[in-house]
Amino acid sequence: MASTQQTKQNSLLAWLDARYPLVSTWNEHVAQYYAPKNFNFWYFFGSLALLVLVNQFVTGIWLTMSYKPSAAEAFSSVEYIMRDVEWGWLIRYMHSTGASAFFIVIYLHMTRALLYGSYKEPRELVWLLGMLIFVVLMAEAFMGYMLPWGQMSYWGAQVIISLFGAIPVVGPDLATWIRGDFIISDATLNRFFALHVIALPLVLLILVFMHIVALHKVGSNNPDGVEIKKLKDAQGLPKDGIPFHPYYTVKDSFGAAVFMLFFAFVVFYMPTGGGFFIEPPNFEPANPLKTPDHIAPVWYFTPFYAVLRAIPDKFLGVLAMGAAIAVLFAMPWLDRCKVRSIRYRGLSYKVLLTIFLISFVVLGWLGTQPASPELTKLARIFTATYFLFFIILPFTSATEKTKPVPERVT
Amino acid sequence: MKVLQWLTICVLLMPLSLRAAGPSLPLESANNDIQDLDSLKRGAALFTDHCMACHSVKYMRYNRIAADLGWTNEEVVEVMSYGQDRPVDHVMTRMPDGVAMNVFGTKVPDLSLMARLKGTDYIYSFLRGYEYDPETKSWDNRLLEGTAMPHVLESMERHGSEEAFAQAARDISNFLEYTGEPAKLQRLDLGWKVMLFLLLLIVVTYLLKKEYWRDIKH
Repeated sequence: MASTQQTKQNSLLAWLDARYPLVSTWNEHVAQYYAPKNFNFWYFFGSLALLVLVNQFVTGIWLTMSYKPSAAEAFSSVEYIMRDVEWGWLIRYMHSTGASAFFIVIYLHMTRALLYGSYKEPRELVWLLGMLIFVVLMAEAFMGYMLPWGQMSYWGAQVIISLFGAIPVVGPDLATWIRGDFIISDATLNRFFALHVIALPLVLLILVFMHIVALHKVGSNNPDGVEIKKLKDAQGLPKDGIPFHPYYTVKDSFGAAVFMLFFAFVVFYMPTGGGFFIEPPNFEPANPLKTPDHIAPVWYFTPFYAVLRAIPDKFLGVLAMGAAIAVLFAMPWLDRCKVRSIRYRGLSYKVLLTIFLISFVVLGWLGTQPASPELTKLARIFTATYFLFFIILPFTSATEKTKPVPERVT
Repeated sequence: MKVLQWLTICVLLMPLSLRAAGPSLPLESANNDIQDLDSLKRGAALFTDHCMACHSVKYMRYNRIAADLGWTNEEVVEVMSYGQDRPVDHVMTRMPDGVAMNVFGTKVPDLSLMARLKGTDYIYSFLRGYEYDPETKSWDNRLLEGTAMPHVLESMERHGSEEAFAQAARDISNFLEYTGEPAKLQRLDLGWKVMLFLLLLIVVTYLLKKEYWRDIKH
């Protein structure tokens, strides 16, 4: 009996496989994708990003079933979801917490790349695709934050869109074109909804797909920065590689469970994230006639917002903010050191990276604070150190005193 | 590398403690407990008698209040609208449209989300923040000078005990915290169960990982 069932299953698989590369795709990307065996804590965040992406898609779809993308109804439809829709509050909090979780996970994922040189040859394209994902994610989050149509939704969007107005010559017209109106209005909300629920998620999905395909073409880096494909056994399999499935599927399941515990704690016991994930002024409906005392973007934008405010000239500030993101794209070429992992790199990179990471965190904190002369001075110092990382790196990395890299992973 | 990991975790947790500080005005602590259903019931009754003449909590329905606080549908409309509204109705003010503009010269805010916007400490301190000015023979509020809102708990402050006055302000603040997020009662009740399940899942996935990884030599 069992064997006939097996035969039936096999014949179904054979039928499918004759028409679709099912087995080969599964093998190439999961069952026979060889990943280094020495992944550590930092390597959980790739699969966690995928988990959060799925969470955002599923909860987002359910939110659109009850949300009304109009200036007149948006705010009350969110309260309707929070009160009258069955489990609406849970779906909404999972989505709002998911947005912040996405950035926490992505920032740690990017930090991992900086620690172990995962952007270096031959993984430049993996890094570039990842950076594109990051930029699209910021646009997606920005547009999503507008949808509840609270005071911070409205005025945050007002500030960010007005930045486009600072561009010489075309700026004001460009800002009007983005808004679809002379002020943020129903028209803006409606188009942002369209972009948030269809256009950008599609782009994200395609980019994530390409990110993974590109990664699997070149293979994963690891904490030692050793190329595992160099040393192969008699079967032609990397000696330091293990099949992604089942080894990393079970390991990542454990990582996912731990992540979900933290996630559940926020969703159930501090869904506004202490005023960082959902800002208190956003519980007041958008009012174009009343500017809040202090407009602060959501925490994940604040490092770049602090750079913007640090520059006295508005247009130069916009350029600096753009450059703070754009310069990251160039990492594979700015870092000229052949050694990948920080474990075997010289002191100069360790010091530079530490200063860079501290600058990023401090700028993030400064971006949440109301501007004052002292804090602006501080923001200028850390904006300088942020950019100094990218300016000094090409010189120090070319002549860096590195330690010998082992043959095999440790 | 371990040090770096702990540093990362500390940095991640740091901002959560930073923003707890509220506005600069000194606020009294409301010390309310949203899971105290008796306090919520008293708060609902006080809200009906002292606030609903002008204010609404328009996102709440009577039957939701009944279900969460342990009243029947008949009881909730009896307490909160003297039997006039239906249980499915939203909790609206008894003041007709436009009257507020004539009487106070301003719009009266809906209070559904006031606790989420300002916090219960603010509401508690505001209700207790009225000071009598013998010269103008009128009350003003230290948190919002020149407010159009009258001192609705005046008789309590003058004739009742200090504890009764404080408890009334606390019950109203508590009720408004509830109206700000009625699901809070459910999430506080459900959260620890979900987390307990996830702890179990962590143990199971950890053991599974360990079992599979036994054959990997490091």
